[in-house]
Amino acid sequence: MKKRGIGLGCAWYGTGYGNGFPDVSSAFVEIHDDGSATVLTGAVDVGQGSNSIYAQIAAEELGLQAQDICVYSADTDATPDSGTTAATRQTYNTGNAVLRAVRQAKVSLLDYAAHKFSCPTAEGIELSGGYIGVKGDPSRRMPLADMVFQARLQGERFISAESSTARSTPVDPETGQGAPYWPYAFGCQVAEVEVDTETGLVHVLKVVAVHDVGKALNPTQVEGQIAGGVAQGIGYALLEELELHEGKIKNPALSSYLIPTALDVPNIEAFFVEEAEATGPFGAKGLGEPAMLPTVAAVINAIDDAVGVRITSLPATPERILQALADKKEEANLKGE
Amino acid sequence: MNTNVVGSRVIREDAWGKVFGQSKFPADVNLPDQLYGVVVRSPYPHARVRNIVTEKALELAGVVTVLTAKDVPHNSHGVLFRDQPVLADYVRMVGDPVAVVGAETMEIARAAAKLVEIDYEVLPAVFDAEQAMLPEALPLHPELKPTNVLYHMPIRRGTMEDGWALADVVIENEYNTQHVDHAFLQPEAVLAYVDERGHMVVQTATQYAHYDRGEIAHALGLRFSQVQVKTLAVGGAFGGREDISLQIIAALLALTTLRPVKMENTREESFYSHSKRHPMRMYYKTGATKDGKLVAMEAKIVGDAGAYASWSINVLRKSAVHATGPYVIPNVSIDSFAVFTNNPYAGAMRGFGAAQTVLAYESQMDLLAKALGISALEIRLLNHFKVGSTTATGQVLTGSIPLDQCLAKIAPYLQKGDGIL
Repeated sequence: MKKRGIGLGCAWYGTGYGNGFPDVSSAFVEIHDDGSATVLTGAVDVGQGSNSIYAQIAAEELGLQAQDICVYSADTDATPDSGTTAATRQTYNTGNAVLRAVRQAKVSLLDYAAHKFSCPTAEGIELSGGYIGVKGDPSRRMPLADMVFQARLQGERFISAESSTARSTPVDPETGQGAPYWPYAFGCQVAEVEVDTETGLVHVLKVVAVHDVGKALNPTQVEGQIAGGVAQGIGYALLEELELHEGKIKNPALSSYLIPTALDVPNIEAFFVEEAEATGPFGAKGLGEPAMLPTVAAVINAIDDAVGVRITSLPATPERILQALADKKEEANLKGE
Repeated sequence: MNTNVVGSRVIREDAWGKVFGQSKFPADVNLPDQLYGVVVRSPYPHARVRNIVTEKALELAGVVTVLTAKDVPHNSHGVLFRDQPVLADYVRMVGDPVAVVGAETMEIARAAAKLVEIDYEVLPAVFDAEQAMLPEALPLHPELKPTNVLYHMPIRRGTMEDGWALADVVIENEYNTQHVDHAFLQPEAVLAYVDERGHMVVQTATQYAHYDRGEIAHALGLRFSQVQVKTLAVGGAFGGREDISLQIIAALLALTTLRPVKMENTREESFYSHSKRHPMRMYYKTGATKDGKLVAMEAKIVGDAGAYASWSINVLRKSAVHATGPYVIPNVSIDSFAVFTNNPYAGAMRGFGAAQTVLAYESQMDLLAKALGISALEIRLLNHFKVGSTTATGQVLTGSIPLDQCLAKIAPYLQKGDGIL
């Protein structure tokens, strides 16, 4: 018989290295004569899209489009150290470093422009749509490229190097008391599963995921992180297990170490909650790891809802489901039910 | 804040290359006259290397060199401690690299790797973390710790006696999670060469080029300024590319032979050359009042660190800090342990110790709700963190803590009856 159930899972995740370990990111910025710009950072884009996020941050700050920004990363001869692409820290931490570096390069640009426009303070200058000009006076503006080129002829260059360090303190080794991580990211997911009581096979029919991201700097990438996290979470809950015999891996192949395929991943509805994190770039916090956390609980709780068995050892293989169902039946028989 | 570019669905610049196949992954780059490196790995989980005979391998036409532990200037690397050998003369896990063959083709290198004769003195091994914790267990890293307990993190908050006295319902359970591989699609690959400046250049896929540079420089006795690590397209990582895999070995071969060196793992080799997600045994006891308020929680979490420290201290710290779940519990006693065994070493993987505990704390929540006759959503709404809540480590949460908004958004999908489809 096939039985359906729904399960809920919540999770939290302290982002960053944590426990007082120096969590530093760095970036170099150069604004070019044609009004485009380059960002150099050591942060590796492992495929999650961090380079695009930095381009968006720099473009926003300079009144440009993302394609006006070249992001070059993770070459030790050219880029400054930005820490590991890990701990859900690159959007938040290197994002902050890029933002600080762009703002730093902007300081001298705005000062120079204020002088050119006879404006007594850089506060009166804005960058928008590829132009630089006086706030509130559309007649006094010029293409950013022209301004940077003119500046070069007078020996002015708009370059910067900045770092950003995340907040964290070590916990007390005896009591564990302290503030080890910041910020924390939250999320919850609901899974609907169908359990075949004859075969023990669990089929995930749908997952709804809601994650706290502070601010979605790129909603497409947020949805991508959530979809990937849910897929990996389903693998963790139902499929993946390294089989060891005296330390030797018995299934070192993707034919025997099973990860989810397109056929195992259900329809995923991804939502995000935007409540700005004051310390993050444009209010953002990281999502990379949190995206996979609630899935395992949602699936395991849904199995219980479907067939009334509590799986306490991962993964919830058909063998484990059938064993749990048999144990439940035996227990019921003993009680004379 | 109004933004134009931030918050928009900008298409990633790397999307085109990934979709149309132009992206260069480390397996895709080659240089003329390159050598191919293949690692000889230990079949034993714990052994001392008595002797290595390389003559037969070297006699094979096309084999240029075979390097072993004695050829590594500084034979260690590691993210927290340099406890991992580049090439081992004492192995602590199946798959530890013991020798590397450099040859004119990959086929010759693989054939020669089988001809390297290694005499091992096999030592007793331990595969269960709780057995490895026992005082009679032989310590695997006496240079680091007198026992196999690499790390113990206690969290103490409130008074357990008071907490249990308040509890009307108590749920106690043991949870177990498994060894998991990152199973990224692209196995490790490296191109290493000494360039025209005399600098060591290593092109690879990594999560932290600057860390790799430091470890390569340390092992080979070079300055940071003489080593360039250039990251190519990364075919998945998930924590599995934080520790060193082939980078130092390839650079060592290149430095020794002064020829470009290409190395590329098979899938099987890949399984042996990066870390795993920690399996954890988690003993949980959670108590709530009849009104559904959590009042006490005790947890013991034992994580199998395997053969090397990697990030285990940080991982088990994260397990302990996150063990309550996102819930206020005034009386808490948590002990987490990272324990050396002769299993594959465990390190970083997406979730980093906070992934395992979700199984335990969220199962406990559902079981408590069932015992109390309330819904899964209700028990979470009664206990979740809000602005101003205090965590088990005494941290007061301020700023953006919108779990309430997340739950509000997901609540309609929990309606009983017709499912969420």
